[in-house]
Amino acid sequence: MTATAAAGTDSAGPILDVQGLTVTFRTDEGPVTAVESVDFRLDRGRTLGLVGESGSGKSVSTKALIKLLPKNAKIAEGARIGLRRKDGDWIDVATLPADSAAVRRLRGGEIAMIFQEPMASFSPVYTVGNQIMEAIRRHRGVGKREARTLAVEMLDQVGIANAALRVDQYPHELSGGMRQRAMIAVALSTRPAVLIADEPTTALDVTIQAQILKLMRALQDQVRMSMIFITHDMGVIARVADDIAVMYLGRIVERGPTRTVIADPKHPYTVGLLKAIPSMGKLERRLTPVPGDIPSPLERPTGCPFHTRCDRRMRGICDRHDPKADEVGAGHSVACHLFG
Amino acid sequence: MLGQVLADNRPLIDVDNLKVHFPVRGKGLFGVGTGVVKAVDEVSFRIRAGETVGLVGESGSGKTTIGRAILRALTPTAGEIRFHLDGDVVRVDQLRGRALTRFRRHMQLIFQDPYASLNPRMTVRDIIAEPLECLGDTGGRAAIDERVREIAELCRLNVEHLRRFPHAFSGGQRQRICIARALVAGPKFVVCDESVAALDVSIQAGIINLLKDLQDATGVAYLFIAHDLSVVAQIAHRVAVLYVGQVVEMAETRDVFFGPLHPYTHALLSAVPTIEPESAFAPVTLAGEIPNPARPPSGCRFHTRCPYAEARCRAEVPQWREVAPEHFVACHFAGELPLARHG
Repeated sequence: MTATAAAGTDSAGPILDVQGLTVTFRTDEGPVTAVESVDFRLDRGRTLGLVGESGSGKSVSTKALIKLLPKNAKIAEGARIGLRRKDGDWIDVATLPADSAAVRRLRGGEIAMIFQEPMASFSPVYTVGNQIMEAIRRHRGVGKREARTLAVEMLDQVGIANAALRVDQYPHELSGGMRQRAMIAVALSTRPAVLIADEPTTALDVTIQAQILKLMRALQDQVRMSMIFITHDMGVIARVADDIAVMYLGRIVERGPTRTVIADPKHPYTVGLLKAIPSMGKLERRLTPVPGDIPSPLERPTGCPFHTRCDRRMRGICDRHDPKADEVGAGHSVACHLFG
Repeated sequence: MLGQVLADNRPLIDVDNLKVHFPVRGKGLFGVGTGVVKAVDEVSFRIRAGETVGLVGESGSGKTTIGRAILRALTPTAGEIRFHLDGDVVRVDQLRGRALTRFRRHMQLIFQDPYASLNPRMTVRDIIAEPLECLGDTGGRAAIDERVREIAELCRLNVEHLRRFPHAFSGGQRQRICIARALVAGPKFVVCDESVAALDVSIQAGIINLLKDLQDATGVAYLFIAHDLSVVAQIAHRVAVLYVGQVVEMAETRDVFFGPLHPYTHALLSAVPTIEPESAFAPVTLAGEIPNPARPPSGCRFHTRCPYAEARCRAEVPQWREVAPEHFVACHFAGELPLARHG
């Protein structure tokens, strides 16, 4: 790419280009396909929201991006995980061995990740500052003293009062909201190009969640970072994501600009999901659950994965043939036979 | 229906000045510097027969502790819990021993995690039947079987599957098993402690509907504890808002959500992200952290974070008063603050 890309100043264009990503787990009960033929693209400075229920493959598909999968997982041949590095070069992460130095540089350096459980993501035996400094020193090549200054700065930026004091505290001395903010500080301290946030606010109270969402947006604008935001909460997605991809049983069933998908959902699963959400604004409405249960990953339905729960299924079509993604509007595509 | 006054106005449970304090040991070797965490402090409210009271508040506000104190899963430090049962009034806070065990048939609990709350070695039939057997219900196995089938059907479980073990069931089905177990002995009162929080959205809606239908069918009252305000909006007739161990506002659901009078309720509601594009997302940012319940602030406990706090709030504990019919608030300036209508 060009020199402007290397300087990180070009404002648009893709930074991540995933094609044909399939992840299979070997288990005692047989192979389980957690993610199947997933494609997505992420542009610089944008936020992609991944929505889906348990077992939909949200986490697995993003962990694959930095090869953070357990040993029994396998990324199928033919998958391409294109990443434009900070120096402007495109690399294919899928071809790199998980334990290679190249992947280690990638983790945290190019793609950082925030997990749901802030307590589980920090080591309890090191101070918070210690853990931020480790990331800074590894990826930004600065000395101990400078790393400490940067760590205090980061904690301050994420809104932790008395950062100079907090930097020497252990994770257990911080409240849940503060720990999650510290986690964000760790993730952002290396100036990653892409931030993957895996249910970063699910374990937090709404008041803290609102603070964290606001903070993430502000920081993102500041450093022009791209973000993949994983959640099962449509309300949160509506507030943070530019585009959303709805996942069901390892597939992306619908994607498009957030407002469009929420205002005019096409896939019966997206329609059902939006109807099932309780709302503070409409008290008298009886909720409409999506019928049936999420199938076990060991018993993946044939054809369209959603056909077992779909009220608009067409016999002989949906249970036999895989629907292909079709464009239904500008940037809005749906994988459903109703729109094929 | 929601938002309507219940036709049935009979009281079921009166909680009066409930206090649950936990002693904490200091850092010293022999527990020097002991203190007391006032998890629940001077809480009073009433639950009527057949109604759902939603209990909301941030983590550590005492939601679960109140539920457990009423169920006598822990012993209250002070205060009265009066249970109205067939014309009699039972002081639940004073029950002990066998009397308490016998009384448990009237009050039950549904937990949060349907994966952790079912014994994997018991069949679904045995799980649902266990409360009956523990309570020493006579009538023999056939009668118990009959009752189990009846409640399983009511909870939309497939009665053909009662011989199976819990592992064969999905999260939503497991929660229906938990609900069947809680209701099998015909309790008058059930505490639902985050009972739908662990479920996926598409499943959650079905469980909320089921809980409502069961209430219509059996007349059971729920204390519905949840951190998800949208869920509470769907199921509760009345809502109590907790802050650091105290109820700061209580009213009918509609009034709490559309006309909050306490600034904390208002801030809490404003922080909930919704999918409705017409409602702007403008969360009220509260300064600072939730106070430590071992050292609650003076005066109004919310004054350290309240955007409207004045000198009076720091000095004087606000009265719990009925500002509008059935709308109780503990705030010096209730009704005078510019709290925008939500939604």
